[in-house]
Amino acid sequence: MMVIILLGILGSTFLMVMAKRMPALIRSFCYQSFFLFLIIFITAFKENRLDLYVVAGLIFALKVLVIPYFLSSTATKIKVSESLGLFINSQLSLIIALVLTYFSWMFSKNLGFTGEYFSGIAITVAFSQVFIGAFLMISRMKAFTQVIGLLVMENGIFLLGVSIEEGMPFFVEIAIFFDVFVSVIVMGLFVYRINKLFTHIDVNRLSRLKG
Amino acid sequence: MQILFILTIPILLSVAVLFIKKQRVFGIVNSMGYLVILSASIILLKEIVSLRSSISYFGFIYLDILSAFFIFVVSVVAFAASLYSIDYIRKDTESGVISEKKAKIYYILFNLFCFSMLFVPALNNLGMLWVAIEMTTLISAFLVGFYNNKESVEAAWKYIIICSVGIIFALLGTILFSYAFSLSGGMKSLNWSDMVASAGKMDKNTLKIAFIFILVGYGTKAGLAPMHTWLPDAHSQAVAPISALLSGVLLKTAIYAIIRFGIITIKGVGFQYFSNLMILLGIISLAISCGFILVQKDLKRLLAYSSIEHVGIISIGLGIGGILGIGGAMLHVFNHAVTKSLMFFGAGNVVNKYRTHNMHVMRGVISTMPFTGFMLLMGAFAIAGMPPFSIFISEIMIICAAFLKGYYLVTFLLLGFIAIIFGAVVNHFSKSLFGNIPKGMAVVREPLSGKLAFLFLFVQICALGLVLPFIKKDLVWMVQTLFQG
Repeated sequence: MMVIILLGILGSTFLMVMAKRMPALIRSFCYQSFFLFLIIFITAFKENRLDLYVVAGLIFALKVLVIPYFLSSTATKIKVSESLGLFINSQLSLIIALVLTYFSWMFSKNLGFTGEYFSGIAITVAFSQVFIGAFLMISRMKAFTQVIGLLVMENGIFLLGVSIEEGMPFFVEIAIFFDVFVSVIVMGLFVYRINKLFTHIDVNRLSRLKG
Repeated sequence: MQILFILTIPILLSVAVLFIKKQRVFGIVNSMGYLVILSASIILLKEIVSLRSSISYFGFIYLDILSAFFIFVVSVVAFAASLYSIDYIRKDTESGVISEKKAKIYYILFNLFCFSMLFVPALNNLGMLWVAIEMTTLISAFLVGFYNNKESVEAAWKYIIICSVGIIFALLGTILFSYAFSLSGGMKSLNWSDMVASAGKMDKNTLKIAFIFILVGYGTKAGLAPMHTWLPDAHSQAVAPISALLSGVLLKTAIYAIIRFGIITIKGVGFQYFSNLMILLGIISLAISCGFILVQKDLKRLLAYSSIEHVGIISIGLGIGGILGIGGAMLHVFNHAVTKSLMFFGAGNVVNKYRTHNMHVMRGVISTMPFTGFMLLMGAFAIAGMPPFSIFISEIMIICAAFLKGYYLVTFLLLGFIAIIFGAVVNHFSKSLFGNIPKGMAVVREPLSGKLAFLFLFVQICALGLVLPFIKKDLVWMVQTLFQG
């Protein structure tokens, strides 16, 4: 059961790599966060831990509902074209994502995580999310993709935190949540400002500062 | 007890902005507040040095000599920046660059920024350390994009994105550290003081990988070379007092985090691993900054690249180790913080007067602004490493350490790059400080509080050479307690 959900996370990450338009990207991010919520919820249920219930609830509220809503409403407000502007086309991106996944499998094997069946897969998925998130950030033109890439990386970190035995202390996890939330808001504000000043949000055309 | 003052005063000040109407009055109140913080941090440092032990409250706040030292450095630069801000912001509001309301926002952000930087060294929990460092990024991004023109917003965007990605890798490293710790003891804790106690039992392989993530993550924030790309943009576009804070102490808080994780790594894996990585990154930083300093036209970017150079030197000092190496690196943290702040204040005045960043257009600064010009001249020699000033002392300590330990190639490269940078910096500054005044440029009198900030920093740049013999014993003790074995 858990493994299927993990594959769901991986699948939605691949969907994001394939996406060519803004709404598709945000929707896939929604799916991914929902699967993450399920994982944490089931773990909380199995181990009967109250703090994990709270974390799961926060993920559902923030990452499945509030942040995607905030991003898509900002996107419609600033009226830019929905195309993401791919530097690398979607087929090639998918191949790179697969290579990155294989790389994270090797990586988690190297760290000695693959002893247990479940945690081995979970950690592979977590690392692959971190790397694919970074890849998304550098291979798309629009400033929004950078925000979403960052969120994907953060989801990966959370999955890693849950699947490694103990995880983080509770208040640290809450503090990290708060930080993530604030950083998305701050980045949203800056996207808004960039659009106002430059009348576009293509990061490859932000090239006034050099040398 | 002092830590209570140090942490609450910035918060109180940021609330007080809303109630005090006159901007000038608030500016003075603000710097009084930072004077109190500075004295509290000196008392704290003295107390810890004389107690020869650490203080901890509720297992949440943990103050040893390393934290007290970094809090001291932050409060020195914050005090100077608060003095300098009074006239800088007043001038900006008078010339209509920013509105009265925006000046208030500046002061609120300034205080929150200082709070987050003072908070970082006081924390024991490594997860909270991460949160505090991310907080410094989020707050200072607004200060980088403060003028809201195309360049500054672009710089702020690059800053926030690159630093956030970097810092996510640091979080990954932190989780791996806690994993290694939970394997060794079975205790659930992220406290540094617990981790360091059982560092010897941790899994070596995991620690090695975790430290690389930490170095990439916090190294991005510290401005170590391959990850430095945000730094020149952010430093050149921020408000001048904030540039000083960014370069003087924000980079140092990231260095602080690297040192904290480095101590665990050294105890778990051995010194050689840590040393190789730090020296490698340091040399790359020096090489890259050297090239950019040689061809630089923009005054503030020149200073930003010089920060990368000095962070590189600090990292080499830490990597070489020993009392001379690490002691030199610690002194260099302080010396670079005060000297670079002085330079950024000077650059702020010059840019305000000449309305350009381009050094080819600035001529005759020393005749138009005699005081700032003189300070910039002294500062340029100090930052390049001339003997009577303090940066020379810490650099010579690090070079001696490298020689004594037999790192001949490192010493050769270090000396070579420092020599080239010395020539470049002196050349650039002598061209714009002397020469004919451009037409229509009048000689100005400079305001008192601005001068006070310069003098406060200048005294510290000169004084360290005299004070060093007295604090030598404490410095040796400090290094020994930090890196035993």
